[in-house]
Parts: sequence; structure tokens; C-alpha cells
Amino acid sequence: MSDFHQTGIITTLHQLGKPSLERLESELYGFSRARPVALVLPALYSEFEGPAMPGIVQELAKVKYLNEIVLVLDKGSEKDFQRVREFMSPISTEVKIIHNDGRRISEIYETFARNGFNVGERGKGRSAWLAYGYVLARGRSDVIALHDCDIITYSRELLARLCYPVVNPNLDYAFCKGYYSRVSNKLNGRVTRLLVTPLIQSIQQLIGPHKFLTFLDSFRYPLAGEFCMTTDLARVNRIPWDWGLEVGSLAEVHRNYSPRRVCQVDIAANYDHKHQVLSADDAGKGLMKMTVDICKSIFRTLASEGVVFSDGMFKSLLVAYLRQAEDTILKYEADAAINGLKFDRHEEAMAVEAFTRAIGMATQVFMENPMATPLIPNWNRVTSAIPGIFEMLKMAVDEDNK
Amino acid sequence: MMEFLNLILEPLQEVFLKFKVFLPNVLAMLVIMVLGIVLARLIKVILVKSLIAINFDSWSDRMGFTTLMRKGDVWGKPSATLSGIIFWLLIIITLMIGLSALNIPTIDSLVEQFFGYVPRVFSAAMILIIGYVLAGFISQGVLIAAVNSGYHYSKLLAKAIRILLMVLILAMAMEQLQIAPSIVLAAFSIIFGGIVVALSISFGVGGIDAARRMIERETMEKGAAETRDDIEHV
Repeated sequence: MSDFHQTGIITTLHQLGKPSLERLESELYGFSRARPVALVLPALYSEFEGPAMPGIVQELAKVKYLNEIVLVLDKGSEKDFQRVREFMSPISTEVKIIHNDGRRISEIYETFARNGFNVGERGKGRSAWLAYGYVLARGRSDVIALHDCDIITYSRELLARLCYPVVNPNLDYAFCKGYYSRVSNKLNGRVTRLLVTPLIQSIQQLIGPHKFLTFLDSFRYPLAGEFCMTTDLARVNRIPWDWGLEVGSLAEVHRNYSPRRVCQVDIAANYDHKHQVLSADDAGKGLMKMTVDICKSIFRTLASEGVVFSDGMFKSLLVAYLRQAEDTILKYEADAAINGLKFDRHEEAMAVEAFTRAIGMATQVFMENPMATPLIPNWNRVTSAIPGIFEMLKMAVDEDNK
Repeated sequence: MMEFLNLILEPLQEVFLKFKVFLPNVLAMLVIMVLGIVLARLIKVILVKSLIAINFDSWSDRMGFTTLMRKGDVWGKPSATLSGIIFWLLIIITLMIGLSALNIPTIDSLVEQFFGYVPRVFSAAMILIIGYVLAGFISQGVLIAAVNSGYHYSKLLAKAIRILLMVLILAMAMEQLQIAPSIVLAAFSIIFGGIVVALSISFGVGGIDAARRMIERETMEKGAAETRDDIEHV
């Protein structure tokens, strides 16, 4: 059984006892009439060939409270697109597929580019952003839920628990982030455990208490890719297109909403998905690239809130982080021991060393160009510059799905 | 035997002579066509570059022409689409000039008819373009005014006005193109007349009380203003 301690400045919704899924879904069905829910699924075609997607489709076919599902298909040919349509057909909810490599959507991206909008490189951030645009363009849903398409341990309870705090009008949360433990026969989630948490704590150690850091530290799994929000938030939030997506999105939520309207919810007893390789020698890929992007995102957010970074401070940060991370390894070693989990201390120490190098790289990049921002503009700004963009996007997707 | 041969050769000679007279015309047509196609391609390339240089695509996105194109399931760049239209227009003109070089009376009259029709096509296109922009401006103005006065169905009203204006513009363009003018006129009169009658009836039937209230309020206010004197009593 989970503990019930409330940590940080946001609300934590624990999984206490064995809540009935049927009750949750029937309540959601009732609430969703007043607050229709759209599910956004950013997916690569390769994920349809993997083990996760069949399970996700099977579970989604049983969900009755969703108003629409918007799947953004990346790296897929015209034939792949047709195959995916066939694949999604068991789902009774209306499914719209945004074909990212299709002729019409490519032209939509061209439209952004020629009007001065840098929507970034392909990836989850850009796909999610485009899907929000489509949901806003249709104007049929008030709530958007999003989860990855590589969750091997997916169950529809995850979706129900994720949506509930935002869809229930009596709770009135504007943003809800999922959290879960990442445990198999060992502890996973290295980036959160050994990078994000120690990094936040070491920055706090150097600059003292800071609202954003306290907010970020309140999340049990800040890098979780599952969240639910109101469409109003989707309209005003800018999202990063790089690996800083999760942290950058939280920064935007912090900027636009009071922490009282933000919560996190325990969505799964266990969670497993595609694992990234560390690639300690190559900062351009794997967890190293992720680390650099996350650190840049945190530095940029803090700088935008008035924190002054200097060479000396960054040097101290590296040392402080290393100390924090080493202490963290010890804590997790004890945690693994009591639970009988495998724990490779050397591997964990190697990861911390690699993360330290990555933080160093991120500080360098940040000092060279602190203004380099990979944030995709929010939809309010896009529609102000291109008034017909929603109509164009809607036509492109609807024509593709005919 | 000679006579028989003459019988065969004479028509052939005649055909050959006619062909000899006709051949320069065909060559002239081919030269015109080749030059025309080359020129049209050149103009297209220059046009695309010029349109890109003046940010025509972006302007088109803002003015709503791109949306209009997408509604017709045309997904090219506006600059490329416009250049393509001009290219094919030039090809058609080249074809017409080329055909007129053949000096065939029937084709000549067809060419004459075509060139007589071109100004109409041009003015119809202008009516459509200007009309589309104006309709957008007016419907946007109506939307803002209606929203500011707290009208509940502002979006619906703005959309209805835009559709009505587009019907009017389409009728004007078709009338300019002389496409079944009597039918267009009749259809337009029926549609517009029908709308006006429907509005009159709906207001007449449903708005009697509202109109009465407005008139009564007006007369009461007038009466109150007349009875009020300039001196304020304590």
C-alpha cells in the first residue's frame, strides 16, 4: 500500500487500497458529458510493430468515456498510415490520425515555417503540439490527456486515473501529471533518480529556495510522459520540442497556473516502456542528449525568473551535484537491498559520472547562448499570425482520414 | 492508261499543293507553340521567385486565400499554385495564337471568341478575389460588433453573413462569365428573396411583442422628456 504523505506545493493523489475501476470509469462517463475528453497519442510507426501498441489498442477499445482519440503518426509512409488506420479500427471512439509525413501535414509545417514559426525538429514535442492544435481546431473537447505509445504494462486504469482529477468538475485541477514506480527486478528511471532530483537539490543548495525548483521538486516523477490538462492550458502553453519537453512543460504550467490547480496522480503500480541507452561517449544521442536538454531547460527557466548564472556558480554546481548524486546512490542501494532488487552500484556511479559531464556540456551551451530557446510558440500566437490555420489543420487531417 | 494515271495523280498533286501551302502555317504554329511554352516556363520561374521574394505565400496565409485553396483540396504553395495557373493560361493563349496561324476560318472564329471571353474571365476572377476579402472583413466586423453587444449567436450571424455575401459574389462572377445568366439571376433572386421573406415572416411573427415593447419604450421616453421642465425642484 502506498503512503498518503502530501509532499511539496502541489496535490498528490495516491493509490490507496484497491479503488474500483468500474466506479472510476462510470463517474468519468458522467463527467465527460460536461467535459469531453480527447486522448492524444504521439506514436512512431515502429511502435505498432512492437509489443506495446496491440495491448494499448485492446485496452482503449474498452474505454467508453473518451470523446475522441488523436494519434500523431511519425516516421510512417502512406502504406503505414493505412495499416495504422486498420490497426486502430477495433476502437469504437472516433480516432483521427495525423499523418506527420503526409503531403497535407507537410504543407501545414511549411505554412508554419514561412510565417516565421520554428516548430522544431520531429519528435514527441512537435507531434503533441500539433495534436493539441487539432483538438483545439475541432473544439469538441475540454480536456486533453496524453500518454506514450511504448507502455508495455498499459492498462485502462492508467488512463482513468490520469483523467479523473481534471475531468471531475468538483476537483477542478487544470493539470495533472502521472507518476509511478519504475521497478522490474531492479530500479529503473535513472534520469529522474540520479539526475533531476539531485540536480534540483544542488541548485537549491546554491541559490536557496526558489518557487520553480520547489514546484519541480514536488513531482514524484517529473519526467513521466503521461499527463492530462484543460484545453485552455493547451492553448496558452508553449512546449519544447527537444528532450526538455517534460521539464519545459512543467515550467510553462508553473508560469501560467497556480500550484493549487496542479496535481500528480499515482497511475500505475508498475510501469515499463522502451529503455534508452546511456551512450556516455556521445552527447548527441540516448540519455546523454536527454540530460543536456533537460539541464538546459532548467537553467533557461531559472534564468528567465531572474536567477543569475556565472562560471563560478556552474563550477560549484557540478561539485554539489556530484555529492548529491553520490548520496542518492547510497539511498537507493539501501532501498534496493531491503526490497531484494538487483543494484549495480558501479553502473549507477558510471551513470552519475556521465550525467556530470552532460551537465558540464549543458552549462557551456547555456553560457554561449542563453537565448537559444527550443520552445514551440503557443496556439494563441499562431492563430493570431495565421488566422486560418485551425481550419487548414482540420481540413488536412479530415481529408487524410477520409 | 495515262488518263487513268492522271485520275489518280491529280488528286494527289492537289493534296500535295494544298499541303505545300499549309506547311508554312503548321511550321509557324509549331514555332509559336515552342516559343510560347518556353516563354510560359520562363515567366512561371520568374513569377515563383518574385512571389517568394515579396512573401506572397505568407500574405496569402494571412488573407485567407490559402484556406480557400485548402477548401478545394489544393495543397501546393500559393505562389506555386498562382504561377501554375498563369502558366496554363499562357499555354492556352499560346495554343490559341498557334491555332490561328493555321488560317482555318472555323478555328479563327473560335480563337476570336476565346479572346473576346478573356476579359470576362479576368473581371470574374477579380470579383471573386476582392469579394472574398471583403466578405471576410465584413463578417469579421459583424462578429466583433455582435460579440461586443453581447449577442449570443455572434459566430452564427457572422457565418451566415459571410455565406450570403459569397452567394452574392458567386452570382456576380457567374453573371460576368455569362454562364446561364437567366438561371443564375432567377436562382439568386429566389434565394435572396426567400431569405428576406423568411426573415420578415420570422420577425413579423416572433418579434411582434419585442417591436411593441421597443415602440412603447420610445414613446414613453419621449413623453417623459416633454413633461420634464428645466427647473429642478427640491
